[in-house]
This record gives sequence, structure tokens and C-alpha cells, in this order.
Amino acid sequence: MFTPAPWRLITDTALWSENWPGIPRPARGEIKTRYTNCALCPAGCAVRARLVGEQPVALMGVPAHPLSFGALCPFGLTGHQLPYHPERLKQGPAHEAAEAVANAIAQCGPNERIAVLDLRPGRTASWTYRRAMAAVKNGVYLTAPPPLGGASVNLSAARTVLSIGVPVLEGWGTPGNVLAARAGFRLIQAEPFESRTAALADLWLRIKPGSGRALALGLTALLEGKAGPLTPAQAAAETGLSENQITDLARDLAHNGPALVLAGDDLPEAVPLNRLTGAWGESLIARAEAPVPESWKKAAPPTGFASVPDGSIRALIIDESVPGDYIPWNVIAPKLVPDNPVVVAIAWSRNGYGRHAQFTLPAAVYPEMTGDAPAAIDSPAAAFRIFTPLVPATAGMVDPAGFIASAAGMNASAALRERADAIHKAGRGTLFTYADAKSTPVKELKPEDFWKALNQGGCWMDAPGKPAAPVKYDEAAWQGKPPAPQEASDLPLVVALTGMPGAAGLVSPLMSKLYQESNLRLGRNRAALNPASAAACGVGEGSRAVLQTLLGRRPIQVTLSASTPPGVVEVEASPDILDICGAFSRARVAQS
Amino acid sequence: MRIPGYLVFCGGALAALGAGWAGFPHVIYETRPQPVDFSHKVHAEKAGAKCEDCHSFRDDGTFAGVPALDKCSGCHAAPMGTTQAEKNFIDGYVTPNREPQWLVYARQPENVYFSHITHVKLGGLKCEACHGDEGATDKLRPYQQDRISGYSRDIWGTKAAKGMKMDDCVDCHRQHGLEHSCLDCHK
Repeated sequence: MFTPAPWRLITDTALWSENWPGIPRPARGEIKTRYTNCALCPAGCAVRARLVGEQPVALMGVPAHPLSFGALCPFGLTGHQLPYHPERLKQGPAHEAAEAVANAIAQCGPNERIAVLDLRPGRTASWTYRRAMAAVKNGVYLTAPPPLGGASVNLSAARTVLSIGVPVLEGWGTPGNVLAARAGFRLIQAEPFESRTAALADLWLRIKPGSGRALALGLTALLEGKAGPLTPAQAAAETGLSENQITDLARDLAHNGPALVLAGDDLPEAVPLNRLTGAWGESLIARAEAPVPESWKKAAPPTGFASVPDGSIRALIIDESVPGDYIPWNVIAPKLVPDNPVVVAIAWSRNGYGRHAQFTLPAAVYPEMTGDAPAAIDSPAAAFRIFTPLVPATAGMVDPAGFIASAAGMNASAALRERADAIHKAGRGTLFTYADAKSTPVKELKPEDFWKALNQGGCWMDAPGKPAAPVKYDEAAWQGKPPAPQEASDLPLVVALTGMPGAAGLVSPLMSKLYQESNLRLGRNRAALNPASAAACGVGEGSRAVLQTLLGRRPIQVTLSASTPPGVVEVEASPDILDICGAFSRARVAQS
Repeated sequence: MRIPGYLVFCGGALAALGAGWAGFPHVIYETRPQPVDFSHKVHAEKAGAKCEDCHSFRDDGTFAGVPALDKCSGCHAAPMGTTQAEKNFIDGYVTPNREPQWLVYARQPENVYFSHITHVKLGGLKCEACHGDEGATDKLRPYQQDRISGYSRDIWGTKAAKGMKMDDCVDCHRQHGLEHSCLDCHK
């Protein structure tokens, strides 16, 4: 007690525990820099990675990048931790799945289909799927309907932006591009509750849940100057705004233009509204896709689920390797043949479609995957970026494009290179290289140098053309959403999804405990209700209840939150919930 | 003859105190020799080398620490003097191109982030402020490692230099009126 020995032993023993086996240790080695592009969302931001030895230890943006401007979102900044996600799939029955798909193709009847569901269309892998489905008898290439009829958005050409529930400032487009353009436009956010975008908007219009369509129709009537399906007075009654507010908003759109109206794919009424504001062809423009080899053009067209008859899909292969638009399983399931359909999900975890598939095959995750990013929704010109792996892929991973191509008897292993060569052959646009922040016209590069630069961190951007309106907007072809809701009294609540829809949980497992575990973030199968709504539903804090929508029901646990507006049920955008909610979301909460 | 109890007690207490104060510090540390008989003094006086000539900063501002063999080989590809130590170094490391496994006295544990460039360039600290007169010694002293925690003895402080414990960092920051929050070092 009177010597240093026991006290020192206590300290040393505590320090000793820092060196126990299993305690993670930072890598040591040469410090290097590599460049790639983020694969976590369609924005595909440019990434500069700091590596110690071969281990990426930090990701950051590339400041001179013409579209991402050096910005990365919190998910992108922590992307290098994803290969270590505890829920990652490490193995799967690849041979058995390939055999089952081959049998299904062989046995496919005349009225049956072999289908691929692509959650992120426009990639080179997407073209492989389309080619494969063209090569297979009765092949169908399925994807989610594009928002705004597939038009791309040029935010810098807009002075007023009306967003009807679109999370403009929280993950909708390319974060750096949106923030760079933000000073140039006035943002009006029409949304039932105060999202982060609503809080940061110049004006937040608190509309009633589910009344975005009424607002769009009311504005259309005012801008057209003639009676439409809804009068401004009816629109005011449905949205909860005053008639004057709607009139002022219409005046804003008409006089403070160019004005742009942003809405999700569940609100096709935004397209005619954009025609009236003059955005169609100015800030909402047609964008050519990055060139592809001529031989690829014999490919299956993109198709919505609505175009596929019920009970007709014999085999469905789902590429869930990159987060994208999640189509509820309850929309997909009726399309499958009733007798033993083959469903293969190629995914990073079993939490998405893997819950419903017979075969779930493991896919590489960012930043160990190879692929490419098409242009983001807010990119005025076509773009081509390659995800160069920062770490070697874990053994046993299945490449979705390779799997689907081989099922169709194709070899698509050189597809990325062929696409790059086609872009080079077209001779348009410039290549921006990340390491030296230089733009070089493609015409001045040799094919080999172009390919090498893309792999070392580069972005091809098409030459800017004259803005033009999209050729057509065929709403009927994309009606993949659930049927119209029943009476509001039947499903009185509107579902507000929180979190990152489509990411299916692909969030760094090391993001702060506050984010992951606190009550600030709803856990899976937890729903937040305003106390008044909860009382009307007959549930209270901690009640076990059922969330009922048109697509199904799911058990939930209720959390009371005064910040949730009346008439809204807030739930985490987990696949479980998305399966019964989708984009169109009215619900009822009842005691279980 | 029966020894009085108080004498037994005093003897035991003295033995325990002696073991605790004098014996324990010798037992707790394992002593290991450095791989090369290196003289900072010779390099400073005869070659006119300054600390930063060998312990340099990389282009990105990170500290390179102990120089790699390439740096040594730049001068010692062939013997420059007649000492046995230099001959041993060339035969044992330069010729076979084998990196010496230096034992770093000031190695901080993995959970500590320390920026040399902030302290040296921004704070204007001399190397001696933390490392003592190591740069003037004629011989590398043996490396002493705590048998339980694995830490270098220098972290706790030696006669030559004060310690590099968290308390020492905080004391210095307090004296200079600088911030000292947890995340400065434990990132």
C-alpha cells in the first residue's frame, strides 16, 4: 500500500486489457491516396481515399469535381466501414441458384416470364441485364418508375423550386451540387411535417398528409386559368392551406421563374405543372445516356411491374447489390407464378428481398465492388464514373451482372471496358481526372489512357447541349404503384418514412451510437404517433399494435411523440415496412 | 531466542517497502537492446545532421518517425568510418537490405493520436521538450518495456526525460493555456 507496486499493477492491468486479442488496432504502413466514386446512392460522388498500407482509413470528397464539389454525405464519409458490417452475407448457394434459374429458363411456358429486377437502372450492369433478358426467351427487364418521367433536373437554371415532399436537402440529388446551387433558388417545401429540408427551406407550407396531389391540381388550375379537376378552393380545403396561400404560391411560380416543381414518382401531376411553369425543357430536361456499343442496343426495354400480368414470372433475379428504389414485396409477389417460382436475390445482407427469396447470394459492397454510376438526377449532362475497388472483394462474393449474363449464356466480363470504349469512340465530352483536377477533351485521349484514367479516379461528362424537353412522358407504362387508397376514414393515417429509404440498412455499423441506438432514431418496427392520433387509435406509449396498409399488416410498437403531426405515423424505412407501404402510404394503427 | 513481534513487523514492513520501491521497478520492466549500436552524437557532430534531417515530415505533413533503411543507405552504402558499429550495421542491414527493427522509446499506444507537425511547426516545441537529450547521446540506451502493459518505460518518464502520459500532455497544455479535450488525442 505504501509503495508504487500495487497501484502500478492496477494501472498496468487496465492498460494490458487494451492489448487483448480481438481489440481492433489501426493499420500501420505507407500512407497512400486513391480515388474512386461512391456507390451508395445514384449521386456517385467523387471520393478521395486515404489508405494506410492497403487499408482505407478515411474517405473525403474531391473539391474540384464539377458536380459533387468535394462534398460527401455522412453515409459516404463512413463507407469504408461497410465491408465489416455484422449483417453482411458471406456465402450463399450460388451453384444451386444458377441451376434453378437454368431449369426455370428451360421450363418457362409461353405465358410465363424470366425477369430481372434492377434497383438502380442506367448502369453498365443494367445494360447487361437488358441484353441478357433480350437473349432469354420471354425475358423481362423490370425497374422502378423514374421520378418526373425520367427527366433530369438542372437546379442552377431555377430561381424558384417548389418541392412537394421531396427531400431536396437531405439525399435527393448530389449533395455538393444541391448545396452549390442552393444560393441561386428560393426553396418552398410543401410537406406535412417539418423535415430537415422543410426546416432549411425559405418557406415551409404545412399541408395535410397525403394532399400533395390536391396542391398540384390546385396550382395547375390557377396557372392554366381554367377549371380543372380541383378548384383552388377545393385544393385549399384538401391541403389545409388558405386559398390565398395557394394563389400566392401560383403567383410565385408564374412571376419568380424559372420555376421548378419537384415531386416523387407517386405524383405524376407534377409533370403538367412543370409544363405550365416553363420548367419542362429548361430546368427539367431530357438527357442523353452515356453511349453504349451498337451491339448492345438489341436489349429488353425497361418495364414497370404494372405491365407484367399477375402469376406470370417463373424466375425472378433481383440485383440488390447497390441500394436503390425498393419495390414492396407485396407488389412483386402477385406477379410470380403460383407453383414454385424461383426467386434469387443478390444482396449484401438478408434483410431486404433475401427474406422472401429461395436463394440469397452474397454481393460485394462499396468500396470493394466494381461497377459504374450513371448520371445523377441533378446532373444536366450524361456522366460515366467507375467504382474502383479500394479493398479486394471478400472471397465467395457473387457478381450480379456475371451471374445474370451467364444464365443467359453471355459473357459480360468486359462490359465496363466496352462501354468506356464506346464513349471514347463517340468523341464527345471531357474527362475530369481527380488526382490533378484537370479536364481533358475526350478527343485528345487515346482509348487506353481514357480507360486507365477512369480506373484511377475520373469522371466523363458529356458535352453540354441545348436544353430540350423529354420526348414523352408515358405515365401508363410506369404505373407500378399500388392501387388508389380507400376512403381516408378507412386508413386515416399517412405513413412518413424516416431514415434512408432504399438503403436497406447499408449504413456504417460504426456510426455514432447516438444515431444508431438512441430514441432520436426509430428502431425497426417502431412507430411514432402524435398523442392525439394515438388516443384516436386506442393505443398508448409502448403499446403493441398493428400497422395496416392496403398492401398488408406488420406488428409495431408505438412511441408517442409530440413532434409527429396529427394524422401521421412515422416509421423507419426498413424493408419490412417498405413491403407494406411503398411510395403510396396510408395506414391504420390498431391495438394488436 | 524469541524475536519480539514489533521487530518482525518492522522487518517485514521494511522488506515490503524495499521490494516495492527498489525491487519492483526492476522486475516490472523487461530490458531489450536496440538492433544497432547507433550514436546520435556522432551524426550530429561529425555529419552535422539535425533532428529533422532523419526524423522528417512527409509531404502531407505526417511524421515519418524513425527513418527507414533507405535513408541510412544513402550515406552508408559503403563504410564512411572505421568503427565496428558501422561495419556491423552495413553487414547486418544495408548489404542484405534488411530493415532494423528499432524499438521506439516514445511509441504511444494505439488509442492515442499525436501530431508532431502541430507541436513542432505550430507550437514551436523543441524535440528535447519531450524526448530529452536523446539527440546528444553517444549510445542508444536499452529499451525497457513494461511486462504487463507492453508500454515503453519512457511513457512513464525517465531520468533523462519527463513522461509522456496523458497527465503530462494535459499539464503542458494547461501551462500554455491551450485546450485539452478528450477528442484532441483520442479521436
